[in-house]
Amino acid sequence: MSAVTASRTKRTPAGSRSADVTRLLPKPLLVVILVVLMVFVLVPVVYILFASVNSDIAVANGAFLPTEFTLANYSKIWTTVALGRGLANSVVVAGSVAVVCAFLAVATAYVLVRFQFRGRLTFLRALLALQSIPGTLLLLPVFVLFSSAASYTGVQIIGTRWGLFITYLTFALPFSTWVMVTYLRGLPRELEEAARIDGASSWRILTRIVVPLSWPGIVVSGIFAFLLGWNDVLFSSIMTNPESRTAAVALQVFGATQEGGALPVYGQMMAAALVCAVPVVVLYLIFQRYLVGGLTAGGVK
Amino acid sequence: MTTPSTTERQDSAALGRAVPPVGGRTSKPPRRRRLDTRGRPLWMLLPGGILMALVIVIPLVLGVVIALLDLDQYTLRSWLSAPFVGLGNFVEALTQSSLLRSIGISASFALIVTAITLPIGVVAAIATQNAFRGRAVVRSIFLIPYVLPAFVVATVWRTILQPSGIANHALSVFGIDGGLWLNGPKSYWALVFVAIWSSWPFIYLLALSGLQSVETEVHEAAAIDGALWWAKLRYVIFPYLKGPISLAIIIAILHNINNFTLPFVLFGVPTPDAVQVMPVLTYIASFQSFRFGLSAAMAICSLVIVAIPLFVYLRAVRLDSGDEKVVTETEAAR
Repeated sequence: MSAVTASRTKRTPAGSRSADVTRLLPKPLLVVILVVLMVFVLVPVVYILFASVNSDIAVANGAFLPTEFTLANYSKIWTTVALGRGLANSVVVAGSVAVVCAFLAVATAYVLVRFQFRGRLTFLRALLALQSIPGTLLLLPVFVLFSSAASYTGVQIIGTRWGLFITYLTFALPFSTWVMVTYLRGLPRELEEAARIDGASSWRILTRIVVPLSWPGIVVSGIFAFLLGWNDVLFSSIMTNPESRTAAVALQVFGATQEGGALPVYGQMMAAALVCAVPVVVLYLIFQRYLVGGLTAGGVK
Repeated sequence: MTTPSTTERQDSAALGRAVPPVGGRTSKPPRRRRLDTRGRPLWMLLPGGILMALVIVIPLVLGVVIALLDLDQYTLRSWLSAPFVGLGNFVEALTQSSLLRSIGISASFALIVTAITLPIGVVAAIATQNAFRGRAVVRSIFLIPYVLPAFVVATVWRTILQPSGIANHALSVFGIDGGLWLNGPKSYWALVFVAIWSSWPFIYLLALSGLQSVETEVHEAAAIDGALWWAKLRYVIFPYLKGPISLAIIIAILHNINNFTLPFVLFGVPTPDAVQVMPVLTYIASFQSFRFGLSAAMAICSLVIVAIPLFVYLRAVRLDSGDEKVVTETEAAR
């Protein structure tokens, strides 16, 4: 998004005419495209809002507009399923993953971008390749590894938030590091070189110069790590128990209550889905311009 | 905070195009920007490196070992002493399981979704490239499906697509009997549709970043030449999009192949046969049927179709920015 502002300011001398010059589509076609896409995106989104204040029967019968307006769904979700605990677990796990991951990523990226060593390119290549390894391939071995660790050392990892923390942290690292690598490449080196001449150690340069200069990049890589933890269903569905369950898994329980034969709790399901989406949407709204840049930089979700 | 120019540079650098470095360094052409070799703080790589080795690399190796064992829920506790069956699991996966069918489903699903999201994303990017009142709002709205967590998207569409739900209600207005979307053969198209809804903004974003690299001068030149809008698109604009779009295609295919959450949450377990994509199949083999060895063998076989787009991806992305090219080449020659 920020790149748009850049090109716009560049164009200001040309005045309003430039908007006409850069136009790529005739106006009527443009309007049609925008309207169609907006409807395509917004109808399901609006439906979530409507269904979340509707009665279960009305949702089950396919009503779009709420037949009644009730906020009861929003108060019931906390007791039907322990959604509060799920959200708390998600915040704790994803939040701590975000912080730790961002700082590990900046240190790793700093070495990769500024120093030459044998295996450097292999490391960079591995960062890209590791992002694409399917989680389903690693799920079972990680599970086996953690349960063996438990039987040999007596430290229980499966079922605790620590298990999720370590897993998400590691899986978020390749992408977060890659985001930092592209970010640090854009930073001028002069300050670091000056500090080096003044006799500063690498650690000091990293903490006093690189980190303060790269806050936007650090925030972006932290947020991506947060999203990875928040959005995961695969690992949390296997490695948690009702105590350590994340919001993503707690939401699935609403689906399971529906299979009990009674009327599905659709209204609550939609309300809970919305609540689970709120933290992510808020993060996105606050950091939108940086996130979009980071997303295209890494080229990966 | 970042200046617009750094972000712009970052975008294009990652998209594999040559970008002149900031600060007029361009004027000294092949000056080699040497990287430090003295006082390297290599220990800083240790925390991240150890974690990735422990939780990614070792499990990868372990996965291969498990694939050679007959491991089930009874032998799991002492998996080292599970019976060794050699390639037995692989033979079973290829001949007696639905692995090959799942690979077919995954591949066709990934290709169809990517092929359909591509024009949507590009058209949306072209439509929002000019300034108009409310453009910022439109852009934010376009990103909603992508920002929502996949498990939320899947939960919502599960409700929409249920037999008497809103989707079939809407279809009946047009006299169409929707029938079952979450069961049976049509579930495949339900999955394709929801995947399109949630993943097109990714193509949109990359196409947008490509459009932004088109200089105003180029637009002006096309206007002076009197190019009609479609000729301008075809011969002037599309060539600019080639790089970012190719990258977007590869990454979109990788994402779609590896997508577990969407089918898993949309259909629940047991999933209908028509949507048993590879991630779901391997998941079910381990944690529903408890055939751990078989599941590991399946996962390894399925790596084959991930490997093709991954290989292309690794070739396409430039590992180093342009000014370190000399070092890259010498290291590659070693």
